[in-house]
Amino acid sequence: MAALDYPPPLRRLIAQLKTLPGLGPRSAERMMLWLMHDAGRIEPLVDALADVTTRVHACDDCGFFIENGQECALCRNPKRQQRILCVVEQPSDVLRLERSGAFHGLYHVLGGKLSPLDNVTPEDLRIEPLLARVKSLHAEEVILAVGSDVEGEATAGYLNELLRAEGLSVTRLAQGLPAGGALDHVDELTLYQALQGRRKL
Amino acid sequence: MPARPANSTENPATRVSTRPLPFSPAFCSRMLSDLLLRDFRCFTECRVPLHPETTLFIGRNAQGKTSLMEAACVLLRLQSPRTSQKGELIRLGATTMLVEGTLDGKKVRCAQSATARRLAIDGAVCGRSGDYLAQSGLVVWMDHRDMNLLRGGAEHRRRYLDFAASQMFPDYLKALRGYERAVRGRNYVLKRDAVIQWRQADAFAGVMDEFAQVLRDRRQSLMDSVRPHVAKVHHDLSTGAEAVEVSYVPGFSGASLAEELAARRDEEGRNRQTAAGPHRDDLTLTLNGLDASTYASEGQQRSAALALKVAQARVLEEAAGKPPLLLLDDVFGELDAQRRRALLGLLPPGTQKIITTTTLDWARDEVVGGMVYGVEVGVVKQIEAGEIL
Ligand SMILES: [Zn+2]
Repeated sequence: MAALDYPPPLRRLIAQLKTLPGLGPRSAERMMLWLMHDAGRIEPLVDALADVTTRVHACDDCGFFIENGQECALCRNPKRQQRILCVVEQPSDVLRLERSGAFHGLYHVLGGKLSPLDNVTPEDLRIEPLLARVKSLHAEEVILAVGSDVEGEATAGYLNELLRAEGLSVTRLAQGLPAGGALDHVDELTLYQALQGRRKL
Repeated sequence: MPARPANSTENPATRVSTRPLPFSPAFCSRMLSDLLLRDFRCFTECRVPLHPETTLFIGRNAQGKTSLMEAACVLLRLQSPRTSQKGELIRLGATTMLVEGTLDGKKVRCAQSATARRLAIDGAVCGRSGDYLAQSGLVVWMDHRDMNLLRGGAEHRRRYLDFAASQMFPDYLKALRGYERAVRGRNYVLKRDAVIQWRQADAFAGVMDEFAQVLRDRRQSLMDSVRPHVAKVHHDLSTGAEAVEVSYVPGFSGASLAEELAARRDEEGRNRQTAAGPHRDDLTLTLNGLDASTYASEGQQRSAALALKVAQARVLEEAAGKPPLLLLDDVFGELDAQRRRALLGLLPPGTQKIITTTTLDWARDEVVGGMVYGVEVGVVKQIEAGEIL
């Protein structure tokens, strides 16, 4: 007799949950149990997921999220400086820098950082679009606001070489950021100061 | 090495005794006075009072005595010379291990699960390991593998550098971890593609560079301090018959590692690995001017290995202003009586020692006082000297 297991749909759900970052098999199982505990919990989640797939996409230019049918509030805002570009790892970094109030240019989300050990190569990041964009915008300065861990620093070094070859001024966020940290662990005041004191690469 | 005639005036033969040695209150406040292990390696729970000078753990192999020393090392330095896999420290079937002790009158505590670590000093949680380590004590670990400092590959000598330098310089471990990660990333880039993506390799070389400078500076200054001690200690161990020199050989020579790597592109293209940097650092040891790894006898190599470790203890003592805790894992059994006596005499006075041994035969002739424990399948029991001798 086969060993008892959850019915196939639940096994499939657990398998899906396991693919989420930071979720091991045990946590995935706990999450399935939580969902199954009360039928009312599943519907809102399904609804939200469906909504995301039909109503949101990433801006082709900056990579931040836009609601379908609307213009990018960042890229299409004429009040923003068009010749200064801030490169970040994730869309969440855009929000953090915006809340610091220190930056009024345009953003460019890379979608990660160079990390050979995690199999992330330049082709996996939005680097080609970045190069195309600095040309079409006739950008003058690019701020590299990527993390200060090993991979973040390597990404900054890599982009610096490419961008300087295009004749651009490249700066890095100033010290004051916790070493080895990503932007999401930094408070807004620190970010503000880091943007003010950015250094030339 | 010429055998020295037994000198009856020094080290009168004394039996191992459990009588506490007289010690000054100053030493008393500079030590680890007890150790509590919970779900650590083979120990479910074990509480051991430690002697201010010498604590002996006696037992057959694989009974857990080295794990007791390891627990002391993990508690003080958050690392083990036996493993880099933190999970190995957790008892099979348990989810979290805990080591706790009283150091200089403060309660220090380290708990580790598969994914998280909790540190506390006197009940206050310590979020950063750097803060914890700064308040903790220093450690020297000696065991039979120290012969690898002479006979083994360069990685053993780099581990020697790392173990001491990480205790002396607060920025060392961060530079080491960063460097190691960057060089692994770079080596992966060099191996990954048929046509090497040099721009990516260079980006990682740039990151390595800054860490490499820190590591080279720190290792150099460590060895500048260690060198005279090694010569002196070996001189004493060999009763002046031999001269040992140790020197640091950095794995890159110029001002910039990134530039040196750029100049060695052809070589890296052929070998597909990073050609220079602190991961290629080494130490050379000479005995009377000759390479000690090839030309020294086994006895001479053993003395040189001891000299390196005793020198480490002295340098750490200079750096911290107090002697480190000495963890001696089964080293006395394999030394001859003369080296054993010399070693005991060379250790900084007042140093607290934890010693493991399979037999007490060697101790019959030495002045070794303190607490004696028997260790059998993860159970520790204090024993009276009379029971075993
Ligand atoms: Zn946009």
